[in-house]
Amino acid sequence: MAFVKRKSTETTPQDSREERRSHERDMATLIELLQDENADERRHAARDLAQFPDSTQALADSLCNEKSLVVRQAIFDSLLSIGGKDVVDLLIPHLKSEDANLRNGVIEVLQGFPQEVAPRIASLLNDPDSDVRIFAVDVLQLLAHPKAPDWLLEVIRDEEHVNVIGAAVDRLAEMGQPHMIPDLERLKERFSDVPYICFSVDVCLKRLSEG
Amino acid sequence: MQETVQESDLLIKDGEFARFRDFFYRKTGIYFEDSKRYFVDKRLITRVKILNYKTFREYFTHLRFETDGKELEQLINAMTVNETYFYRESYQFDCLVNSALSMVGKGKTANESIKIWSLPSSTGEEAYSIALYLMENWPGINDYDIELFASDIDTSVLEKARRAVYGKRSVEGIPLTLKKKYFTELSDGRLQADNALRDCVEFTNVNIMDSQAMRYYRNFDVVFCRNMLIYFDDKSRRLAAEAIYDALAPGGILFLGHSESMSRISSLFKVIRFPETIAYQKA
Repeated sequence: MAFVKRKSTETTPQDSREERRSHERDMATLIELLQDENADERRHAARDLAQFPDSTQALADSLCNEKSLVVRQAIFDSLLSIGGKDVVDLLIPHLKSEDANLRNGVIEVLQGFPQEVAPRIASLLNDPDSDVRIFAVDVLQLLAHPKAPDWLLEVIRDEEHVNVIGAAVDRLAEMGQPHMIPDLERLKERFSDVPYICFSVDVCLKRLSEG
Repeated sequence: MQETVQESDLLIKDGEFARFRDFFYRKTGIYFEDSKRYFVDKRLITRVKILNYKTFREYFTHLRFETDGKELEQLINAMTVNETYFYRESYQFDCLVNSALSMVGKGKTANESIKIWSLPSSTGEEAYSIALYLMENWPGINDYDIELFASDIDTSVLEKARRAVYGKRSVEGIPLTLKKKYFTELSDGRLQADNALRDCVEFTNVNIMDSQAMRYYRNFDVVFCRNMLIYFDDKSRRLAAEAIYDALAPGGILFLGHSESMSRISSLFKVIRFPETIAYQKA
């Protein structure tokens, strides 16, 4: 036995070892395949649907019922690849899901679209569901948008729910600026009976006062 | 914390450094210990100056909120070693021959070869290192056929890889006996790999983002993809992870660079802990 060379990776369409698909790859067929019993077929369909911007509704719809995390990842990656306002609008409702993996996947994709997400931040931070408000803060954590620190500042000024505030203070320790120190001090006074918030604010203040 | 580093009028304060460190870790998986503070500050200050910012804070705001990721890419270049050379991070090659290959070899029939892929190949040092390790250190070399591919998007580096001519610095990690066995010294002092080594590797041109072209790259048992994903933006990194997942056979093993972490990119792979290092496995 030894090293052998094959032409299997020469990128010529005639090559017999190209991975073959067993179905047509038009959009309608691919959307149908999202429901296939075989997870590999579903994943390949999700991957190939990245070429079809009109498939976003079907991709987003399939997220809820998809139990395979590998297939789900492919769906998210195709939505990330397609992008745009429609994808953001279709994913935001999933922030209310009870499925943590689904929510985390949605948050990661939303972080990839700062301009499209920006107009939705205010409503998310005012959602009646405190969990959704926390997830909105999570979106802000790596959102490449210059207003992200200001949105977090609004949270610590106006928010009442301790867990939402805790998440916001934690993010401000990373992206806050020294001019936010007075607001943080007021927050500490407002929640002086909540040790967890006081501790988080102290950590954040130390960071900001050091630079 | 160590004292802040000051160069001319530029200063990175402890709090700024801490916030930068958190951000850089989230984006790249690279965490700078306090002992690296001087190294990191020097490079940051250089970038601040190049972009003509007056303070680190202004620079960090640009870095943190830019949408195209270009400055992050520049900074990663500044913070990491781009040089490639033979036997780089050789503990992964030790892992390959001592642990990983016996795992992927199980269940192979006599007609099935073991497929290994080096991506991106650059000028071939990694792929040839793998070949040398297999020929010299792996008892199973006599039991299996090996297909060793090495691919890059850049055709000019592939041409150099095929010529396999290297400066002394590049080959200094190779034991002397192996240099004598597999290389010829040229008149200018550089070493050229002999055909016995060059024939072990099939170099090909491919763009990992080209899903159509990538459909020819399947059923690899082991993929080395070191120090490539770190230079991609978040979206490209995730799509590249999907492409590598597609390229691996079930149970196939992925080696990343020592500062890279797949768990920060994608949940497609499970971590596999070998005695020599960790790697990632396609379920």
